Amino acid sequence: MTEIGVNSNIAADTTAGRPDVAVKALYQQVLASVFRQGSARTGIFWIVSLVALAVFAPFLANTHPLLMKRGGVVSSPLLRHLTPSDVILVVAFFTAVVLWFFKRVRLTVKAIIFVVVLVVASVTAGMTVRPPEVVVYEQYRNWTQAGEIEWAWYVPVRYSPDDHQRDVEDARLKAPTGMHWFGTTADAADLLSNMLYATRIALSIGFISTGIAVVIGVFIGGLMGYYSGIIDLLGMRLVEIFDAIPTLLLILSFVAFFRPNDPAILLYSVMAIIGLTSWVQYAYFVRAEFLKLREQDFVHAARAAGLPLRSILFKHMLPNGITPVLITASFGVAGAILIESTLSFLGIGLPGESSWGGLLNQALGVGGSFYWWIAIYPGLAIFLTVYAYNLVGEAFRDALDPKLYSFR
Amino acid sequence: MLTYITRRILLIFPTLLGMTALVFFVMGMAPGGIGGTMLDRFGNLKSEEAARVREYYQKRYGLDQPLIVQYGRWLNNISPVGTEEREDGTKRFGVKWPSLGESLEQHRPVSELMAERLPITLLLNFISLPLVYAIGVGSGVIAARHRGGWFDRITSTTQLAMWSLPTIWVGVMMIGFLANREYVKWFPTAGMHDMEAGNMLFLPSHDAAGWHLGYVLDGLWHIALPVVCLSLGSSAYLMKLTRGSMLENMGADYSRTARAKGLPERVVIYRHVFRNSLLALITQAATILPAMIGGAVVVESIFSIPGMGQLGVQAVQARDREVVLAVALVGGLIGLLSQLIRDILYAMADPRVSYD
Repeated sequence: MTEIGVNSNIAADTTAGRPDVAVKALYQQVLASVFRQGSARTGIFWIVSLVALAVFAPFLANTHPLLMKRGGVVSSPLLRHLTPSDVILVVAFFTAVVLWFFKRVRLTVKAIIFVVVLVVASVTAGMTVRPPEVVVYEQYRNWTQAGEIEWAWYVPVRYSPDDHQRDVEDARLKAPTGMHWFGTTADAADLLSNMLYATRIALSIGFISTGIAVVIGVFIGGLMGYYSGIIDLLGMRLVEIFDAIPTLLLILSFVAFFRPNDPAILLYSVMAIIGLTSWVQYAYFVRAEFLKLREQDFVHAARAAGLPLRSILFKHMLPNGITPVLITASFGVAGAILIESTLSFLGIGLPGESSWGGLLNQALGVGGSFYWWIAIYPGLAIFLTVYAYNLVGEAFRDALDPKLYSFR
Repeated sequence: MLTYITRRILLIFPTLLGMTALVFFVMGMAPGGIGGTMLDRFGNLKSEEAARVREYYQKRYGLDQPLIVQYGRWLNNISPVGTEEREDGTKRFGVKWPSLGESLEQHRPVSELMAERLPITLLLNFISLPLVYAIGVGSGVIAARHRGGWFDRITSTTQLAMWSLPTIWVGVMMIGFLANREYVKWFPTAGMHDMEAGNMLFLPSHDAAGWHLGYVLDGLWHIALPVVCLSLGSSAYLMKLTRGSMLENMGADYSRTARAKGLPERVVIYRHVFRNSLLALITQAATILPAMIGGAVVVESIFSIPGMGQLGVQAVQARDREVVLAVALVGGLIGLLSQLIRDILYAMADPRVSYD
C-alpha cells in the first residue's frame, strides 16, 4: 500500500502539466474507481443534493414572498430578510461551481481563489447585509386575506423555520396536509422548512468536527510515530484514556458543563467537542504508518538534508501515510452527524428545531402520543445522510486499500 | 505471558487516573461549578441567605478548595489505602473501605446507586452480546458459504444500511409503532418491569384467571425492544467481518489442501476455515462491548430503563459530580478490562501471537 502511494506520487509529479500521458495520479485513479461504483454514486448524489438544499434553503422555504406588489410598489421581502450567512453561503457555492469548470487551473490556485472570495464576501456581507431585526410573518397572510397584495411570487415551501403561525388557531403538531407537506412541529412551525435549514447544521457539524479530529489526530499520531520511544509510550496512554472513556458520556459532560447560551457559540462548541473526542482513531492510524515510514530511506535522506521537522513530518511522511486517515474520515463524518443528532435528541446539544435530532425528540409526546411525521421524516434524513457517507467511505476503502479488508 | 499480563494490569491504573482527571477537571472548570442545580435551588431565597446556604454547601462538600485538592480528596476516597476520618474527628492512615462518595443530587451513597443501576445495564448487554454473535456470525458464515447467492446479495446491500441506522430513530419508531395504542401495542413502552411485577411469581403460571407471565418473562418482554435496538448495528458489523474473514480463509492454501485431500466441504468450512476466522472475531468482542455500553446510554434514555447509562445522563444534566465520575470510572474500567481480555484471548487462540 505504501509503495503504491510512493509510486503514484512520483507519477503525479512527473506527469503534471502533461495530460496526454496515460499514467494517472493516485487520487485520479481513486476518484475514477469510486465513481464506478453505483452505490457510491448514489451516496455522493445525496450529499451533493443536501449541500444544494442547505445553501438554497432560504429560496426553498420562506414565508417572505420572493417578489410581491403591494400598494403599487414591487418589492422583494425575501431578499430583504436574507442574513449575512445566507449570502455568504450562496456566494461560496457559486464560486465553487465556477472554479469546478476551470479544469486547467491548479488545485492550490483554486483553493486560494476560493478562500479570498470567501473572506471578501464575508467582510462585505457582514458590513452591508442588515436584515430587519423584527420579523412579522403573519403580515403576508393578513395582507392576502385583506386583498392588499396585487400579486406575489412565493417559494415552494411557504413557511420560514421560525414562523410559529401565531395567526393560525391550533396549528401545533398537525399531520401532513397540502399546506404543510411534512406536517408541523410542537411549536407550530413547518417541519419540512425546519428540516431544510437543519441540513446546514448536519453538514457543517460533520465536516468541521471531522476536520478538527483529523488535524489533532495527525499531529499527535505523527509525533508519536516519528519519535517513538517515550513520547510514543506517553501518547499511547493518552490515546488509551480517550479510547476507554465512554465517548458519549465525555461529550455529554463537556456540553452540559460548558453550555454557552448563545446558539451560534453552542454550535461551534459542539463541533469542537466532537472533534476533540474523536481524534483517537486518526492518531492510531497515523502512528502505525509513521512507525513503518520512519526508517525508510527517503525519510533518512530528508533528515540528512537538514530539512526542518515540519517539512519531514508533513511534506514527506504524511502524504505516504494519510491513506487510512482519509478512509476513516469519511466514516468519521457519518459518526459526527450521528453524535450530534443523539446529543440534540437527548436535549443536551443544539436546541430543538435547528437540528434533525432535536426535531426527532418531539415525535414522542407526553401520555404516549406519537406523531409519526416527526418520527419518520427527520429520522429518515439522519439515516440517509449517515448511510450516504458510509457508502462513500466503503467505496473509498475499496479503491484505496483493497488489502485492508479484502472482501473478494 | 505472565509478565505481559502484569504489565497490562499495571498500565490500567495510570489510564484510569488520567481518565478520571480529565472528566474531573472538565467538570471543575465549567462556569457555574459542580453541583450547579443543587446550589441553584436556593436561588429564590434572599441573596444573603442564598449566599450563606451556598457557602455552607461549598464547605460541606469541599467545593471551596482548589480543584487539585478536591481531586486528591476524591482519589483518596476511592483508593483502598489512604487516610480516613474516624467518628471522633481524628484521622488515621491505613487500609480502609473504598468509597465513591455521596451523590450531590440524590443524597445517597454513589455505590448504592451503582449497585442498583449497573446490573441492569450489564443484563441488557449480556443478553444482547450473544444475540449479536449468533446473528452476526451465523449470517456471516452463510453469506460466505453461498457467496453471490441471494442471501449474500441481500445481506451485503443491507448490512451497511443496518449499520447506519441511528439508534435514536430505531428506538422512537419502535416505541411509536410497536408500543402504541394507535398502532399495535405488542410491547410495553418503558421501564424494566410491569407495575405489578412485585406481586408476580418468578416463573410463568396458570390459575383460574388464565396465564400469568411471571417475573422473568415480564422482564424479557420489557427489554425485547431495547435489546433489538442495541444489537442491530453491532450484528451488521460483525456479519460483515465474519464474511470477510471467512472468504479470506476459504481462499487460503490450507483450505485448498484440505479440499484436495478429499475432505467434505462441510468439514473444510467448519473445522478449518471457521476456526481460523474466529481469530478476527474474538478481537471484536472488545470493541463491541464498550460500544454497546455506550449505546446503552441512548437506549436506556429512550426506553426509560433505570440503568447506568440513564444514571449517567441524568447526573450530567444535574451536574452531579460524584455520580458522573463513578459512571466514567466503571465504564472506563469495563472498556479497559475488555481490551485486556481480548489481548489474552488472542494469544490463547493463536499460538503465533506472542507478547514477550
